[in-house]
Amino acid sequence: MLKILEPGILTTVQDLGRNGYYHLGIPPSGAADQYSFQLGNLLLGNPIDYAGLEITLLGPKIEFMKRTVFNLTGAPVEAFLNNQPLSMWENIEARRGDVLSFKFAKKGVRTYLCISGGIQVPKVMDSRSTFTTCELGGHRGRKLIAGDLLEIGEPLPGVLKQVGRRVNKEFIPEFKKKIDVRVVLGMISYSLSDEGVRSFLNGEWKVAVESSRLAYRLKGPSLHYENVETPFGAGSGFSNVVDTAYPLGGIMITNSEELIVLLNDATTGGGFMTIGAVISSDLDVIAQSRPDTMVRFMAVTVQQAVQERINKKEKLLKFAEMLK
Amino acid sequence: MFTLPETRFDFVGDEYIYAEISREMSIESNYKAISITNELRKRNIPGIIDICPANASYLIRYNPEKIAGQDLKDYIQEIDIKKSNLSELTMQIRIIEIPTWYDDPITREYSLQFADRHQHPEMTDFEFVMRGNGFTDKNAFIEAHSSMPYFISMVGFIPGTAWEFQIGVPRENIIQVAKYLSPRTKTPARAIGLGGAFTVVYPMESSGSYQLIGMSAVPVYDEKRRLAELNDVVLARPGDFWKHRPIDEREYQRIVDEVERGTYRYRIKEVEFSSEKYLLYGKEYIDDLMEGF
Repeated sequence: MLKILEPGILTTVQDLGRNGYYHLGIPPSGAADQYSFQLGNLLLGNPIDYAGLEITLLGPKIEFMKRTVFNLTGAPVEAFLNNQPLSMWENIEARRGDVLSFKFAKKGVRTYLCISGGIQVPKVMDSRSTFTTCELGGHRGRKLIAGDLLEIGEPLPGVLKQVGRRVNKEFIPEFKKKIDVRVVLGMISYSLSDEGVRSFLNGEWKVAVESSRLAYRLKGPSLHYENVETPFGAGSGFSNVVDTAYPLGGIMITNSEELIVLLNDATTGGGFMTIGAVISSDLDVIAQSRPDTMVRFMAVTVQQAVQERINKKEKLLKFAEMLK
Repeated sequence: MFTLPETRFDFVGDEYIYAEISREMSIESNYKAISITNELRKRNIPGIIDICPANASYLIRYNPEKIAGQDLKDYIQEIDIKKSNLSELTMQIRIIEIPTWYDDPITREYSLQFADRHQHPEMTDFEFVMRGNGFTDKNAFIEAHSSMPYFISMVGFIPGTAWEFQIGVPRENIIQVAKYLSPRTKTPARAIGLGGAFTVVYPMESSGSYQLIGMSAVPVYDEKRRLAELNDVVLARPGDFWKHRPIDEREYQRIVDEVERGTYRYRIKEVEFSSEKYLLYGKEYIDDLMEGF
């Protein structure tokens, strides 16, 4: 059992997410930085879909009610076990009564706590991920609060021998103030003029404060658009379309100076024009960007996007291989 | 007889194929989106993750490591061309009454709170919708919005959200409006919004970009399952008809109390709906279905 002494800003139970319910308005949820989260589970020898905690900016204070092994991955943060500083990206042994605490994250947004045997909340629609918008999954469908008790699995056989094992530097992602994000343009990009596409790609976009697991809002250069009459049913704003389903990573234009990128807790459809989507392997980078981060979008082809996806997957496979 | 232009296919990101049946809304496009996605779902193709029909388009999410995007696109395109017979769609549907308090103080308050994201910050959303559609009299607007039923053309956004498109009304008379310039971060549960030609009842507190014109007295989502009709949590089913009935504050409060106590019963009529008959007879057919409601 884990006892939550202080909850932090936003701490939720997440796994890889739930698929297959999107058409009903239920997005996948799950760890927003899937790469860091998977490294945490792999390092422990957990199956990669075991649930852990996603910690946002300011972490919780947690008491371990039994002996186990855990690690911290994702956004760099100072963490302490019984007030002794501990390393991230390394398997740590916790004894009964040990208290884990955090300082405010230095860079990035989301830090992951993975634990041997995983967090054992009941599965809802095949997943333990929390979808707070409609109080679904996770621990009672909500972020953790002080006093919560979380069931954890028994430590897996042999895991104590893995204490002290670390993730090599080459696998640890960087958390930068300026990021490049790759996109495949399409869907309703025809409503932007050539000049509009150029300013989208050449401009710098700034992450706004109103950004969350649902969507990131970015402010940037004014986008030129084709001044055509919007189709029947769309509404008269230039960015208005007859409502479509929204892709994950979808880039929506709401007005000529604002765009939205949808993340794991996405609204699954709506009536703003989607001009493309961030490639799946770069969603982790968006999810780790803080307000005021400068973003540049780079157009790639579908083939390049698929190749990047395979590269990232092979990196995880290589890491898993090295652990053997 | 009811032919549609060729569907346009596009790849989005590395996981999606977008199929645009038409840019504009039409009942024919919507039926096509429903029948193609039904057929795709039936075929259970390995590698497909999500199949999402929308108002006049559909979106497919797939795993490019399991199925090549180009092959999947060609496959869907073939179904799209073959399965374009729109007259064969027959559905058992429910007509459900949504008691609606138009131009209420709750949504008016939200109009004020988020005025900075609005085209006309000096107007409430209700006034903006009314004026923009050429109405000067509030009651005439309410009559236009509530006299004919709406059919559910799409679900999603968040669980329980249903897009309602007015049926049996000539296109030039359908109420339309622009969406917010930038989405609100908050919308109250049960608020009724209008965006483009669509009406929605917000199922729970959430973000939103539709212009708010009233409050529904009845929930469209209830995870506590207080009402028999909400045993499935979500009220909306694609194809169903929803009929807005204007109510005043007193009746609104009475119904909200009944819902709270679990004694409220939705007014519902079950009918068989044929897309063929609708495309042939239009409003006359809808009036027949609505008889006694």
